[in-house]
Amino acid sequence: MRKILSGSFRMRLADSAAGQAESNLSSVCHTLDNLYEGLLRAAEALEEDPLVSDALLGGQEENTRVYSSLFSVTEGLREYARFDLYDPAGTCRYSTQSGSAQPELPTDWGVLQKAGGERLRFVACEDVADAAEPQLQGAAVLTDGDGETAGFLVVSLYQSNLRRLLEGTYGSQNDLLLFSRFWRPVYCAQSALAESLGPELRRRVLAGESLDGAAEGFLYSVTYHPDMELYLVLQRPQVMNRETTGLLYTVSAGSALFCVGISVLMSLTLSRQMFQPIQRLRSAIGEVERNNLDVTVPDQRDDELGELARRFNGMLVALKHNQQELVENQRELNQAQIRMLQAQLNPHFLCNTLDTMKWISKINEVPQVALMSTNLADILRFCISPEEFVPLRREVAILERYIEIQRIRLSGAFSFAADIPLELEDCLVPKMILQPLVENAILHGLEGVENGVVRVTARRTADGLLRITVEDNGKGLPADMTGAYAHRNRELSRGHLGLYNVDTILRKYYGADCGLELAPGPGGRGAVITATLPLREEERTC
Amino acid sequence: MKRRLAGAVLAAALLLAGCSVGSNALPPEYVPGEEERLVVYTSHKEEVWWPIVKEFEERTGIWVDVVTGGSIELLQRIERESESPQADVMFGGGVESLEAYGPYFSPYVCAERDSIQEQFCSPEALWTPFSALPVVLVYNPKLVEPSWLTAWSDLLDQRFRGEIAFSDPEISGSSYTGLVTLTYALGGERDAALQAFAANLEGRQLESSGDVLTAVAGGSDWVGVTLEETVLKQIAAGQDLAMVYPADGTSLVPDGSALVKGAPHGDNAERFLDFTVSLDVQQMLAQQLYRRSVREDVAPGGELRPLEEIPLVDYDVSWASENRDSILMSWAFYLGGEETP
Repeated sequence: MRKILSGSFRMRLADSAAGQAESNLSSVCHTLDNLYEGLLRAAEALEEDPLVSDALLGGQEENTRVYSSLFSVTEGLREYARFDLYDPAGTCRYSTQSGSAQPELPTDWGVLQKAGGERLRFVACEDVADAAEPQLQGAAVLTDGDGETAGFLVVSLYQSNLRRLLEGTYGSQNDLLLFSRFWRPVYCAQSALAESLGPELRRRVLAGESLDGAAEGFLYSVTYHPDMELYLVLQRPQVMNRETTGLLYTVSAGSALFCVGISVLMSLTLSRQMFQPIQRLRSAIGEVERNNLDVTVPDQRDDELGELARRFNGMLVALKHNQQELVENQRELNQAQIRMLQAQLNPHFLCNTLDTMKWISKINEVPQVALMSTNLADILRFCISPEEFVPLRREVAILERYIEIQRIRLSGAFSFAADIPLELEDCLVPKMILQPLVENAILHGLEGVENGVVRVTARRTADGLLRITVEDNGKGLPADMTGAYAHRNRELSRGHLGLYNVDTILRKYYGADCGLELAPGPGGRGAVITATLPLREEERTC
Repeated sequence: MKRRLAGAVLAAALLLAGCSVGSNALPPEYVPGEEERLVVYTSHKEEVWWPIVKEFEERTGIWVDVVTGGSIELLQRIERESESPQADVMFGGGVESLEAYGPYFSPYVCAERDSIQEQFCSPEALWTPFSALPVVLVYNPKLVEPSWLTAWSDLLDQRFRGEIAFSDPEISGSSYTGLVTLTYALGGERDAALQAFAANLEGRQLESSGDVLTAVAGGSDWVGVTLEETVLKQIAAGQDLAMVYPADGTSLVPDGSALVKGAPHGDNAERFLDFTVSLDVQQMLAQQLYRRSVREDVAPGGELRPLEEIPLVDYDVSWASENRDSILMSWAFYLGGEETP
């Protein structure tokens, strides 16, 4: 992030600085163009002047006329260069400045050797630090009318000339360095800079490296001036030097750190807000998994998380309630099972005992005891038999055993009749529903009644139900017991447990519509108890 | 929010990428190709190599990368780099030294071989001669009468004991040539000559050949052993010095240039070797550098005594080159004051 920030910042600055450098360089280029054009024009003018070529070829011309020609064509250029005319042997003959620096120039070496063609050919100085020697020397061959070499025009640019020419064209904080075609230093306003920097820049060019960084804190732009055969190198101070970069880095590092700190704080707060309730909920669920229902989750918040916590708490309450109920049920169930287990021993023992009694009574010739114990044993076996539904025929047969016992007990003070149509004998009814009804009639209805009658009737109703009625001609029902037996609770049925049991059995098996119906007997005497239940045939299994 | 941030980061990255593409890399057309390059190792002084290199560049368009140093130092470097040579040309150094490093050079017969005096040529064309450098004696005319110093034998004179400027022959090639020339000129037992000269030096020698002229011109020494061109240059510069061609003979060992074996820019190296013995260069060095050309068609500049008038010893370059180590070892012993090596 820091890199990007400073990078883009630096880039903006560097871009504008580079653009500035480009325009500086093109301004220098333009100046050199103008100079070169002027020099070339002067060379052409001198070449076209027969006076000059004659003089150089050794003609007897008046020197003043040659000088006047030389000075007139170099008008306006002399402050930027020194002009010398050499004869074909390389001897200086005319000069725009007093005192010829090089009275002889070799024609087979250096600037005169290079001269030729239509242009001025420039050669760099040998020592950039030597202000007494020309920094740059150009030469043009002057030919006479026959195309023979008449001499040379040598243009010498000294350090002071170049400074005057170029000063102010390349920006006050920049430095301009001129290099030859081979990157040998030619000129710099500070010649020491050219001397010190030249070799390093040349090394970089040869290595194909960027020039930037050749000197600490400076950048370079380069352009080539083909006419002068010069590389123009603009050195400009780096906009983002070490200190400003360091400052920028420090500031951006500081702000990055600040941002990181802030975001860490924010995320901590946020996660505390979001994460803590969820964490509490999670651990509460863990507790519930470990079957601890006594946990609660704080639910004061108003948002979705608070809602979630409240729902969770509600769920826990419901769960706890259900569990208690379940435990209660289980306990009841267990007690019933225990009772059942306790009771299960008795029937077999009783049956066997009753059988034994039967035999003993037969041996001792007490027929009533034998009969009673036989009947009782049959009833008992019937009771403990596993099936829940039995044919009506068997129900009636067991009922008759009961009646026989009661006749012996009550000395035959009542009569019993069963009216079961043959087609209904195979109907399946819940086991032991008749005996409690008949017992109720005998014990409650016929108590103290002479010539008591109990009648059991089974009929098929018009809508396909089985109706079983038990009638007696006894004392009749208390007034509050008539009607449907439904909705009586167990407490109220005290003393009439038989009726309650039968009614409950019917309801459980066949639904609330089935059940006992209690009504007074015909003519107000006795009672009629009616049980209505669906007609079901015994399944024929072959 | 996240998407916007990602967008900003992407944009910045793109900008940065664009920046690096547009950085101030040097335009490729400014960088010279391999075929336009030449690497020259030179032991010449800048005043010698620079005008030649500059003119060579201007004429051929070949970029010359110059590495400067002492001749032995550069030759050792060429030896080290022989696996992957960096230099194309060794420019400078006595031909004895070039001969000693012969295995690292390729023979090359320069274009104008016929214009070069036979006595300066390498038999195997292993090196190309550059200039002829007579060994001379120099004295300070304020301190020494001209008659006192005319030959090598005068250096053994007691009056010069401890007053002779002589540089370490292990460092200076010209000093070694001078030492061997002295043994030739004195004749007789070589070791006796070395021992006598070492004794007259009083075990003192100068660090570099440049110090010899300074010491004599400055008066700290009276006489010295050096090369002709060095003295001429100093005299031209206004120093009060006098030069003696020893009457008992001197040597004319040239310095030279050689083509490095496996040179990366071999063609350009050959052009450079041709250029060093071209008429233009040889004339320039005769007229401006106070050196004697190795060409037949270039006369010595100024008032130089013609070669024919200089008495010479029968100097064997190959022998001097092959026995360099043993001679230097003996010299070191005698200079240290020991009787035998």
